[in-house]
Amino acid sequence: MAKIGVFVCHCGENIAAKVDCTKLKAAMESHPGVSIATEYKYFCSDPGQESIKKAIVEQGLTGVIVAACSPRMHEATFRKACAAAGLNPYLCEIANIREQCSWVHSDGDEATEKAIEITRSLVEKVKRNNELQPILVPVTKRALVIGGGIAGIQAALDIANAGGEVVLVEREASLGGHMAQLSETFPTLDCSQCIMTPRMVEAAQHPNIRLLTYAEIEKVEGFIGNFHVRVKMKARYVDMQACTGCGDCIQKCPQKKISGEFDCGLANRPAIYTPFAQAVPNKPVIDSRHCTYFKNGKCKVCVKVCQTNAINFDMQDEYLDLEIGAIVVATGFQIQDTSLYGEYGYGRYPDVVTGLQFERLASASGPTGGRIARPSDGKEPETVVFIQCAGSRDPSKGVSYCSKICCMYTAKHAMLYAHKNHHGTSRVFYMDIRAAGKGYDEFTRRAIEEDGAGYIRGRVSKLWQENGKLMVRGVDTLLGKPVEVPADMVVLATAMVPQPDAKEFAKTLGIGCDEYGFFNEAHMKLRPVETATAGIFLAGACQSPKDIPDSVAQASAAASKVLALFSREKLEREPIIAMNNEATCSGCWGCVLACPYNAIEKKDITDRAGNLIRRVASVNPGLCQGCGTCVTFCRSNSIDLAGFTEKQIFAAVMGL
Amino acid sequence: MSIQEHYRSRAKELLSSGTVKMVIGYGTGSTPDRRRPVFITSPDETDRLVLDKACRTNLSGYLLREGLLSDQKQVAVFFNLDGVRSLNILAAESQLETAQVLVLGFRIEGEEVTALQGERAADFKSLIAAAKEQRKSQPPHELQEKLEAMTPKERFSFWEAEFSRCIKCYACRQACPMCWCRRCVVDNNQPQWVNTSSHTLGNLEWNLLRAFHLAGRCVECGNCSRACPADIPLHLLNRRMSDEVQGSFDHYPGMDEAQEPVLASFRKDDPETFIL
Ligand SMILES: Cc1cc2nc3c(=O)[nH]c(=O)nc-3n(C[C@H](O)[C@H](O)[C@H](O)COP(=O)(O)OP(=O)(O)OC[C@H]3O[C@@H](n4cnc5c(N)ncnc54)[C@H](O)[C@@H]3O)c2cc1C
Ligand code: SF4
Ligand code: SF4
Ligand code: SF4
Ligand code: SF4
Repeated sequence: MAKIGVFVCHCGENIAAKVDCTKLKAAMESHPGVSIATEYKYFCSDPGQESIKKAIVEQGLTGVIVAACSPRMHEATFRKACAAAGLNPYLCEIANIREQCSWVHSDGDEATEKAIEITRSLVEKVKRNNELQPILVPVTKRALVIGGGIAGIQAALDIANAGGEVVLVEREASLGGHMAQLSETFPTLDCSQCIMTPRMVEAAQHPNIRLLTYAEIEKVEGFIGNFHVRVKMKARYVDMQACTGCGDCIQKCPQKKISGEFDCGLANRPAIYTPFAQAVPNKPVIDSRHCTYFKNGKCKVCVKVCQTNAINFDMQDEYLDLEIGAIVVATGFQIQDTSLYGEYGYGRYPDVVTGLQFERLASASGPTGGRIARPSDGKEPETVVFIQCAGSRDPSKGVSYCSKICCMYTAKHAMLYAHKNHHGTSRVFYMDIRAAGKGYDEFTRRAIEEDGAGYIRGRVSKLWQENGKLMVRGVDTLLGKPVEVPADMVVLATAMVPQPDAKEFAKTLGIGCDEYGFFNEAHMKLRPVETATAGIFLAGACQSPKDIPDSVAQASAAASKVLALFSREKLEREPIIAMNNEATCSGCWGCVLACPYNAIEKKDITDRAGNLIRRVASVNPGLCQGCGTCVTFCRSNSIDLAGFTEKQIFAAVMGL
Repeated sequence: MSIQEHYRSRAKELLSSGTVKMVIGYGTGSTPDRRRPVFITSPDETDRLVLDKACRTNLSGYLLREGLLSDQKQVAVFFNLDGVRSLNILAAESQLETAQVLVLGFRIEGEEVTALQGERAADFKSLIAAAKEQRKSQPPHELQEKLEAMTPKERFSFWEAEFSRCIKCYACRQACPMCWCRRCVVDNNQPQWVNTSSHTLGNLEWNLLRAFHLAGRCVECGNCSRACPADIPLHLLNRRMSDEVQGSFDHYPGMDEAQEPVLASFRKDDPETFIL
């Protein structure tokens, strides 16, 4: 005989203000199979949980219904309380009478009626619940960090320093990401390279970190603690073991006119190259798209000059299969293609540059050695105009969000310019100055008050060339007047956007992303570094626009999540998994195809002599995530989900 | 030589050479405009085969009779293009292998019955592709047009009235080559999702459920409607589903044996975000 306890929670006023909890309680008391029904202000509180435990013991309950908030909120809490009182946690169900009832209805009587139906339905379900035992799975204590920018490096170092094993995968030929391209960094103006390159070296030399550069993630399968990852090692055509990094080949390569990615097109590089002088690893790769040998079968100059025979044109892409326990995604961002703003003349006028190009011009390691010079003629500009929000906060043409860092780096650029050119003039067109952060407002004030940056509130409508000047026309909205500034150089604060392949990559990883391609966190406020897929965490600008301090903080947070996971020998997995009825399965393999986790296998049914009679689907409990996709697919209803069986669902529906 | 004579002698040839163990075709029926399936296993009986414009039944379902194909021997079957498509679906859904089936293909156009070139399911690929294109431009059935013009409420009452005549004999299911489940959900009473008695609710549940199970799989052969003793125009439901599937996913069921079922497959580049 079922002995169900129903615990009606007021949730303070949240439920009780609309639902007549006493009436709900009374209705449940008379429902068949219910032994006890009580109400209380906050069942999630300590005394609330205690009263449930007491009832379980005293009444010998066989099932518990807590009529309260969403199961997403407190199902775990109440199941734990039940387990502590000796009741199998899967015999406890939550009837959601808050989000799905009291919060969304205005009429109290109707809300009460609905709350009774919802609760009754769950009582009928719980009568058919079975005791379930958690599934124990081992944890592979090896983390995969994808992306070798500051976020990825920080996460990798934190995990490695705590003793965890890390595989750090970077798709470019060197670690570093965007931070390696920056000159000096707000809000302290310390040199980016000086704080970045030692970290790159530390990551590369760390005994617990296996660094794979020029590598991409091909496939991710499995689940938390047990991912199977295939990494593609792109052919470098340079043997990493043999190469000493002397750079002779780079000097001699006759293909010298390839626009260099690291310098944002402001300088050229050869076909065999390292992205920048301080690259880690400091060993070149051959860009087969531009190499003369790959194009017409002749050249091999690099082969001739290489003392150690490190060049190998026959090298092929290789694949590496890794067993991984947790994944940190730190794939960063890109800047938006600014040529879509015709009015700013980017791409048409060489002296209209992006903020990132300005970083290269201001950087001591850049093409001008840190002299801020015009790309067109190498002269130092007398007047520089900075245009903020060149793409951000512009739903019609750009992106509707704020890129968060541009106000700050524009102020920084104005400062760097003032420090390097004492007689120059800088003008900044801005919409607002968003400088929230420790020392940030002080920083922008310094640019204005000490370094003479002239801030004009308004947007630029047009830009053209006249008598060797770039004419910038906009409106000063504070004065309500149009302004025209003749400039020698214009710097666009382009929007931060996700990597172009982010949406595709999200699917490879099995995580979600927003409409732009920024990866989704599990909960904006409470779980900002987790994704909805257990065991995959986020760090840095791949989640949303971030500066370095935020990226580093999130990277350390992600590392701590990984370490928490690695501190356990076994993981408990929810036993909510699919089960197949072999007697009725027709072996159509629809479920096999539909299962997003490849958790269904084909199983042979043989007769006594071992002859194959037929083949049926068989769910691998280690792989099944309990998503239920297969259940909905199978026409003969041959698959059931533990905890949500057909019988349970049917009873719940009929209980309505 | 008439097409009937041509196929009779081809059947004789196939049986006497031992290429196939059985020919499934059409024989005379209880009235002149009805044909009944015949299962010929001896070369001496091939004269029982009839092929004319009354041969409308899709015979592919018989291939799944328990054990028929388990000895790996071949069977020859008379098929129009719909039949070949259903054969492809059965193969795609792993219910048989097309290598075991020899197609005796024909097409009925008005009074005329002509032979289709080819003997293996794969030989009809281009014909099926052409049929897919043609379906797009096909004018809707008269009754279908009438139904589309109705308000949802009128349409519901139309089907309610039609289904009220259903006697739950399940002839539609038995006749449909796509209804091959070892256990149909309606035969499951733990729990009993579909009410088995033939009252309005149960009948609605049954007929709609079947229509959904046929989405993206029905080849519009019409077996179901022809089998229904209550003359319910069942194929119209499936036709409507097919329109939907072709319109939304450009899916024409039974193109070839490698075709993935439209409701179980997904692509990574799907523009929707529902795929995790
Ligand atoms: C013009 C400009 C100036 C800035 N100035 C400052 C400043 O002064 N102070 C400050 O705090 N912040 C500044 N920032 C912001 C700073 O650049 C970012 O906060 C920081 O780079 C984010 O680090 P990240 O590791 O998340 O991303 P990234 O630096 O973009 O690194 C991501 C890495 O992942 C790799 N990757 C991408 N996809 C894959 C893949 N699928 N597989 C493997 N690897 C992959 C990339 O190649 C890259 O190396 C500035 C940004 C810009 C554009
Ligand atoms: S979908 Fe159903 S019938 Fe088909 S293989 Fe899976 S369990 Fe079996
Ligand atoms: S519930 Fe079904 S579809 Fe989902 S993971 Fe498990 S076996 Fe695969
Ligand atoms: S539903 Fe009807 S028309 Fe469609 S394949 Fe089955 S029998 Fe043929
Ligand atoms: S064949 Fe007709 S009467 Fe029989 S179950 Fe199907 S719809 Fe109902």
